[in-house]
Amino acid sequence: MSKLSFFLRRFHSLIALVPLGLFICVHFLLNSSIFLGNEAYLTMVNFMKHAPFVIILELVLIAIPLIFHGIYGIYIVYLAKNNALQYKYYRNVAFYLQRITSLILLAFVIWHVYTLRLTTGSPEDVYAVLLATLQNPLTFVLYVIGIVASIYHFTNGIFTFCITWGICVGDRAQKIFAICAILLFVFFSLWAVGILLALAAA
Amino acid sequence: MVNLKDVQYIKLKIKRRNSPQEASYWQDFQIPYRPNMNIVSVLMEIRKNPVTADGQKVNPVVWECNCLEEVCGACTMLINGVPRQACAALTDKLIEKYGDRPIQLEPLTKFPVIRDLMIDRSKMFDNLKRVRAWVQVDGSWTIGRGPRLPEKDQRIAYEISHCMTCGCCLEACPNYNSKSDFVGPNAIAQVRMFNLHAIGRMQADERLEALTNKGGLQDCGNSQNCKQVCPKHINLTAHIAAMNRAANAYVLRSFLDK
Repeated sequence: MSKLSFFLRRFHSLIALVPLGLFICVHFLLNSSIFLGNEAYLTMVNFMKHAPFVIILELVLIAIPLIFHGIYGIYIVYLAKNNALQYKYYRNVAFYLQRITSLILLAFVIWHVYTLRLTTGSPEDVYAVLLATLQNPLTFVLYVIGIVASIYHFTNGIFTFCITWGICVGDRAQKIFAICAILLFVFFSLWAVGILLALAAA
Repeated sequence: MVNLKDVQYIKLKIKRRNSPQEASYWQDFQIPYRPNMNIVSVLMEIRKNPVTADGQKVNPVVWECNCLEEVCGACTMLINGVPRQACAALTDKLIEKYGDRPIQLEPLTKFPVIRDLMIDRSKMFDNLKRVRAWVQVDGSWTIGRGPRLPEKDQRIAYEISHCMTCGCCLEACPNYNSKSDFVGPNAIAQVRMFNLHAIGRMQADERLEALTNKGGLQDCGNSQNCKQVCPKHINLTAHIAAMNRAANAYVLRSFLDK
């Protein structure tokens, strides 16, 4: 099938925004319950752990899209012959960062899912592991790096999504969208670090 | 900042290769400074007396050039690491920008080297053929004047028509390499131009079909180097985005219409 790579590339782009990007927003929103205190946070974790169909939703909306995006993404990383040192243009550096952050993000997600989803059972366990991770300065820094890299990948991805899908075409539109992507990156990063600090202080 | 009055020699460092099978090597050359030269005239000067900076007599440097006014693309090479036309690379400007160090000349890296700075550019023309970048008007009778293009489309087409298939965009594109068969930014822009053309648009779907096949526009990774290095300032990234829109619509339409 000669259109296979076209479909795979477009599918790879689409699922990154919906459901994966959407999931990041929901994930941040739910974790913001720490701002209301430990009780609220534990109630949220309890609710999510016992929500109906949670396994199916996790599989269909998170696991399968994430695994596809990850595997096909590694292939895309392999295809590029990076030249950001020779051509130091803003977009080219972003192109290179998009690929570097993808690898950081992949390692982070595996660690994150393994420690907080696959090897921990009860909500109290999850909370205890999370607290231990965030109160250790080394793993706290690794968490910040992992999350900021993921947010860069997500927000820069929103910008390239808009080009891939032909949403923003002209120079002016691309400039506006690029600025919005940077603002979004700053906003999400501050939000994420706020959540981590609140969790570590709890 | 170098004062051109103090410059005695124009120095060159050239990456040479005797044949496609042999390994490449570097040679230094220098010629007495003269104002208002370009890289082509410096190479011609070296050809008159092909002696390296350390006095060794060598074969003259092979390179291609044709129009000498930056419209044919034949003399495209890497000049201090930047893909551009040798005829439009003025030595005084280069010395002012990079100082008195040797100006480095290399053949483009994305094309097979034939000899020295001369490369085989036929892949670019194959890619233009792949996406049917022409207007189909062949026939045995006159078909009269074609319809006029709206002013708005003329402006877009005029910009793209400056493309001389020089290869700068492909040289700078991280996704155009030996691991992929990406058609490249220039071919995508040409499809936009021919699909705007009043007669050319009769084959619009055939071009979009070619553009969405293996190695098509989906291989673009938005590094946007193409636009930065284009000597004709063609807004390649906007043309790629416009073709993304058209290609997505085409694929969806052809799926729903069948």
